[in-house]
Amino acid sequence: MTRRFLALSWLVVLIAATLYLGLAALGGVPLQSDLMALLPTEDRDPQVHAAKTHMAEQISGRVVILAGHADPAQAIRAAQTLRDGLMGDGLLADAGDIPSPEAIGRLAALYFPHRAGLLSATDRASLQGGDASALIGRTLSQVFGIGGMADARLLTHDPFLLLPSFMTGLPVPTSRLSLRDGWPSVTADGLTWVLVSGRLQGQAYGLRDQQAFAASYAKAAERAGEVAPGIRLLRLGAVFYAQAGAAQAMAETSFIGTVSALGTVGLMLLVFRSLSPLLLSLLAIGAGLLVAMAATLLFFGSLHVSAAIFGASLIGVTVDYSLHYFTRLFARPDTPQGRLRHIWPGLFLGLLTTLIGYGALALAPLPGLRQVAVFSAFGLIAAFLTVTLWFPLLDRNSSRILPASLRRLGRGFWLLWDNPGLALARRGGLVVLAVVALIGASRLRVDDDVRRQQALNPVLAAEQAQLQGIAGFVSAGQFYLVSADDTQAALRQEERLSQRLAVLRTQGALREWRSPASFVPSAERQADNARLLGEGLNEAAVARLAATIGLPLALPVAADQPLTLETVIASGGVPALAGLVLGQGVHLVALDGIVDPQNLRAAASGLEGVSFIDPVADMGDLLGIYRQRALWLLAASLVLMLPPLIWRYGWRGGLWVMVPPLVAVVSAPLLLAMIGLPFTFFAAMALVLVASVGVDYAVFCAESGADHDPLTTIAILLATATTVLSFGLLAFSDVLAIRSFGTIMLVGIALAALLSPLAGRVRPKRARGWKRHHD
Amino acid sequence: MIRALFMLIVLWPMAAWAEPVTLKPGEILRGHFVQERFLAGFAQPLRSEGSFVLAPGQGLIWRGEKPFAVVTVISAAGMTQSLGGKETMRLSAAKAPFLARLHDVMAGAMAGNWQELESDFRVVSQNDGVVLTPRRADLLQSVKSIQAHIGRFVDAVEVEKGEGDRDRLLFSQQNVDQGPLSEDEAAAFAAIR
Repeated sequence: MTRRFLALSWLVVLIAATLYLGLAALGGVPLQSDLMALLPTEDRDPQVHAAKTHMAEQISGRVVILAGHADPAQAIRAAQTLRDGLMGDGLLADAGDIPSPEAIGRLAALYFPHRAGLLSATDRASLQGGDASALIGRTLSQVFGIGGMADARLLTHDPFLLLPSFMTGLPVPTSRLSLRDGWPSVTADGLTWVLVSGRLQGQAYGLRDQQAFAASYAKAAERAGEVAPGIRLLRLGAVFYAQAGAAQAMAETSFIGTVSALGTVGLMLLVFRSLSPLLLSLLAIGAGLLVAMAATLLFFGSLHVSAAIFGASLIGVTVDYSLHYFTRLFARPDTPQGRLRHIWPGLFLGLLTTLIGYGALALAPLPGLRQVAVFSAFGLIAAFLTVTLWFPLLDRNSSRILPASLRRLGRGFWLLWDNPGLALARRGGLVVLAVVALIGASRLRVDDDVRRQQALNPVLAAEQAQLQGIAGFVSAGQFYLVSADDTQAALRQEERLSQRLAVLRTQGALREWRSPASFVPSAERQADNARLLGEGLNEAAVARLAATIGLPLALPVAADQPLTLETVIASGGVPALAGLVLGQGVHLVALDGIVDPQNLRAAASGLEGVSFIDPVADMGDLLGIYRQRALWLLAASLVLMLPPLIWRYGWRGGLWVMVPPLVAVVSAPLLLAMIGLPFTFFAAMALVLVASVGVDYAVFCAESGADHDPLTTIAILLATATTVLSFGLLAFSDVLAIRSFGTIMLVGIALAALLSPLAGRVRPKRARGWKRHHD
Repeated sequence: MIRALFMLIVLWPMAAWAEPVTLKPGEILRGHFVQERFLAGFAQPLRSEGSFVLAPGQGLIWRGEKPFAVVTVISAAGMTQSLGGKETMRLSAAKAPFLARLHDVMAGAMAGNWQELESDFRVVSQNDGVVLTPRRADLLQSVKSIQAHIGRFVDAVEVEKGEGDRDRLLFSQQNVDQGPLSEDEAAAFAAIR
């Protein structure tokens, strides 16, 4: 029989999917946990994208820990233990972000022959202003004052102390730390804090690396507590946040999952009073998940945890199919085939519209959402096939009598919309809804700020703030990208930019910047410095100074060859420098203590190849763009759902079926605006689902026949209850993105269900070989 | 060199050993100094003299008068230097964090807490003074040893630097008053930010 053949074929497909998944799991499924991976990564300019990724990697890979103790020796011992633990496990590598005295010595040796071409900004300004006396005065005060850094050797070769001045003017990352027994440390409020820092080996957002690091850190911290009782530890690093976020997501998911599962199971047992409907429903969902995972892995090669969790909740909607099927148990004596035949038109139209709705997600150019779309589409089809192909064969239930309470519930729900006596109340209710929605519309505001969408662990945020306060670390996520034909051209552009930034700094717009050119001036600038020096501090000036001090002094000699960026990078004297050079002529300028990003953006204008990059703001802009696009996707999916509905119900009927979901989609965000909930990209995505599910409900009501079968509304109410149990609970998440999604689902689905009996006024126009179920 | 200088500041209150007089918070030590800087290869030292003000918790003002009017002000926040009233150098503690660290050492020593000092220096008492030797290699590069001669106050300090350079400081007319700092002195400390 074809029916049996199809059922068997479906079994073969499921076995194949199981084998494929099993084999993939043996090889290790690559899992990702970064919520942001669900978000757009597109940048029109691949170079900007590469720069952002590079900067993000630099920032996310950084791990900083301060160990604090009243006894400095204890603090150092704890820091040593932590460092040994983390580095011993191979999870942390030395980043060299606090230059060692040896590194500074190497750097000085490298700079020394080129000192004539290396002028600090203030020295250069003095010479440009013809004020050579400032430099002479400095030497005199260093020689005759106390605490001078000049010794005989330095004075003879660098009488104007240009190199020390250049080196103290270098924009090394500012911090309050100084070395103590070789450890960067600082004393604050009676505690000595010792720094352990490095680069994470692995990915901050890779689940496996995260967990390995968290475990290693916990172990090292415990040992540190043993060797130095009373030690206090402060942490900074994306890996800590990512790990805490993942742990929180897991906890939330398992909580919501448990409540949702228990609620659904309880509901089904209560309503159907037997185990079989529950087990078959689980079978349908299980088949959906299995096929969804296999298909996603097949298409994308990896599985994103967030996409999988999100997609799995979408597939949860397929429990609706089972609910509609099993509510037919309460119909007059019927065979399993008869039950299926009865609901098949609604089921098929529902699947079609839902696929259109979820398919819209795939149109969004967001890699994560495409995964969600593929995941849920395959899951939905698999669940649908399981219900239609297997349920009639596996269903051994006999029909039963509809309990009076359920009948009253189903009837009553229809009567809300059918009872002529309630016409006034209905109109009143709709007017109230309209008025509240209108007021909400005036209060509607959008929120695209990425930082607020993710929940940052408050404990870690407090530790980070304290750590930054103690150690004085400040660094901004914003930076300049300098892109030129070659290294020299890039350095020259940075020098032009530095001129503007120096002005901005005097206005307090930023504190410091680090460009490759601040460590190695362009060849042109080095030559110009040597020229200024020759003009301002000539032989006569040197001779006068020599006579005053009584030492033989010599002018610094210009080097034959300019100092090159490559040499300095290769020396390793400035660890930060390598991070600022992306490639030939492609440099970054890092910024500290930014007050007003707008000023800095303006500073780049007119400088060819220099652009100000603000990843967080850009991400926010993109989220805004995608929020709008999501609304267009929603509109598109609503329009695309129309043809099958018009085909089935005619023009008027097709449009009428769309009314309940449309009202739900429009009013849900407006109602939530009343309680101050902002509209986000994630809310827009939720509306796409509200539309799909809402159309489902309306279609089932339209298919319920002229007698307005109470079984239809019972099934819809059950479906609403399970959906609210799974999605509505997301409204209690700590992550704004998820909360935003959950609240819209909660309100939208409830509205769609409440309004769905309106669609019962529509009759199917065509059956096209489908057996009219109410004949 | 700046480090050596701070060791010097630390030494002052050690005078308390000779006679139990401690520099209490709020008290100020004033005096006259002669600085002789011996540079390798030159018989004649570079000589300067002037006055100084040491205020625990605030810092040091080193006011050279001859041959040049060079004023150096050092506090936990950093260091400034000027010649004839014109600023020639400014170093904030953020750029040279050891200034703050050494200030801690100083404050500790003044409060009778020698742990801080001894973690950086080996301290050996002699009959009429002390010898400090840096414990760490990076300090040893700039300072080999510091010898202080202590009477009622620290009378003389000799700082051995590398490469044959050394500084000799002689102090006289030292006295402790109860403060407060003059307006100019307070302003000089406040200007380091």
